[in-house]
Amino acid sequence: MSVDLAKEKYAAPAAPNADDPAYLKIRDLIYRISGIYHSEQKLYLLVAGCKRRMSAGNVAGPSQYLDHLTTRPNRDAELRLLLNEITIGETYMFRHPAQLDALRNVILAQVMEGKSAIGVKRVRVWSAGCSTGEEPYTLAMFLLEEKQLAGWNFDILATDLNSNSLETARAGIYGDYALRNVAEPLRRKYFRDAGNGRLEANDLLKSHIRFDRVNLSDDSKMVFLKGIDIIFCCNVLIYFDLASKRRVVQHFYTNLIPGGYLFLGHAESLFRVDEAFQLVHFPSTTAYRKPPGGSAVGGKP
Amino acid sequence: MNERQSAQLEAEIGKLESLSTAPVILQPLLKMLHTPTDEIPFDSVVEMVSRDGVIAAQCLRMANSPLFGRRQVDTVRSAIMTLGIGRVRTLLLSLCMNQTVPKDKWVLDTNSFWRHSFGCALVTQTMACGIGHPEPEKAYLAGLIHDIGMLVNSVLYTAKFRECLRHAVAERCPLHVSEGAFLGFSHEDSGRLLCKRWGFTEELLEVAGAHHKIELMPTAGPLVCLVHLADVLCRVRNLGYGYDEVLAVALAQDVAWKHLATAYPKLADVDLVRFTLDIDDAMDRIAALVDSVFASPRAAAR
Repeated sequence: MSVDLAKEKYAAPAAPNADDPAYLKIRDLIYRISGIYHSEQKLYLLVAGCKRRMSAGNVAGPSQYLDHLTTRPNRDAELRLLLNEITIGETYMFRHPAQLDALRNVILAQVMEGKSAIGVKRVRVWSAGCSTGEEPYTLAMFLLEEKQLAGWNFDILATDLNSNSLETARAGIYGDYALRNVAEPLRRKYFRDAGNGRLEANDLLKSHIRFDRVNLSDDSKMVFLKGIDIIFCCNVLIYFDLASKRRVVQHFYTNLIPGGYLFLGHAESLFRVDEAFQLVHFPSTTAYRKPPGGSAVGGKP
Repeated sequence: MNERQSAQLEAEIGKLESLSTAPVILQPLLKMLHTPTDEIPFDSVVEMVSRDGVIAAQCLRMANSPLFGRRQVDTVRSAIMTLGIGRVRTLLLSLCMNQTVPKDKWVLDTNSFWRHSFGCALVTQTMACGIGHPEPEKAYLAGLIHDIGMLVNSVLYTAKFRECLRHAVAERCPLHVSEGAFLGFSHEDSGRLLCKRWGFTEELLEVAGAHHKIELMPTAGPLVCLVHLADVLCRVRNLGYGYDEVLAVALAQDVAWKHLATAYPKLADVDLVRFTLDIDDAMDRIAALVDSVFASPRAAAR
């Protein structure tokens, strides 16, 4: 549904230089292909990404760039480069506090209740497409600090396709940018000095994470990942075409326990990709839940 | 609420002048609310606004707020031109509602109440447009008035209603649940009675009277379903009553969604993630709108 908020628009400032309708067409194209949606106030991010790509490729303007994305032979490659631009800089620790709040306030308790019933006291989390490791280390710190989990164990599977990224993730050495949101007490508790103003994740943190190279499109590997409680797969599926995206999401569904959750990137949608997951709204974030054997999600508002 | 309680509540409403008689401009205003904006004579709106000094001043204040303000607006006529008739009439209705509660009887934070009400109005209308509901303007109105019963509870049962709020905040539970425990009825019951007294349509009576109990009803009209969903969405997206309460909700599994999907197949075309991102975008504007109307002049100037 296209949302007409014109009636409440008043004199809200337009996104800078975004008045060219070609940008809206690019926005719709990105949404259709990748599932990432840029609302009006976030359009500037897309415009900035397009501009960087346009200047790199000497493209005159947004309409010409739209041609590059739709009719040129190398359009798929260009689209990939643009998606890289849009999602760049999203990798620092504690990037999405709303997701962690949802875990703390709702999800952990639900998952633990389900597992207690079958006598299991271990929570399993998968960071699918972990890139250079910021997400799994964030999750490890969060879960170690979470008082609800006292007496419980947890492990984090962190996978990526890119071996170089995985090497960086395994090393666990980070600079100011990645650590910008990590509070001082957590730095002291979970990191050690690695020289040059950088910090390295300590053994306790690393002991909770298992890094592995996994191609999400590799069916033979995907079918063996079972019993996961929560999957994080942020800004990864956007690079997949519809058929592969469907297949990966179906795998995720099977990988999860009933009642388990799948988190995607902030503006990513599975609309028309999958019908089996249930979309759940949390304050400032959304997630997809595998139905928990018949019972409804959340309370009764 | 049983019949005896209902009769008692109705009598209480009848005794209190600010609630029992609808504000003078309400009847012509309601008629105006059900007329397409382009068929409303401009002069009749100017006359209606000019009749009440407080309302005229608030229209001027809103027209001069930074939301619209490029130039100084100093007459009622130019204020209405700046705001547009559609916005003026919903503003008038909210002012009528606001005037029923004396300042010292507000239990909820005034700003939170109006942010929630205007937020719901916008979400209800936007959803109505998206699914092809024939009267999105009416949907906006329904969203705006759905919690009118909270005003009744504030005026008539100030101390007890305050207890309800305290309990709801402490327990992180919905307000209508603690109303049931402390008052024996909820803002739905009192809202329905006030709407009846003020001569609102049956459809709006259902909106005010049943937006939290759709699952208990054998059938539910599209408006009350839309408002129910908008209400929950607003409450989970920081536009509730000023405290963390709804922490998780699956809208598409809601019974209101199922009712709507039967009547409006276009609901299946709604990408809820995208819809929510757009609504999040509008939140700042809703807050600014409400501040320009209801915040104290000093707060509004900040």
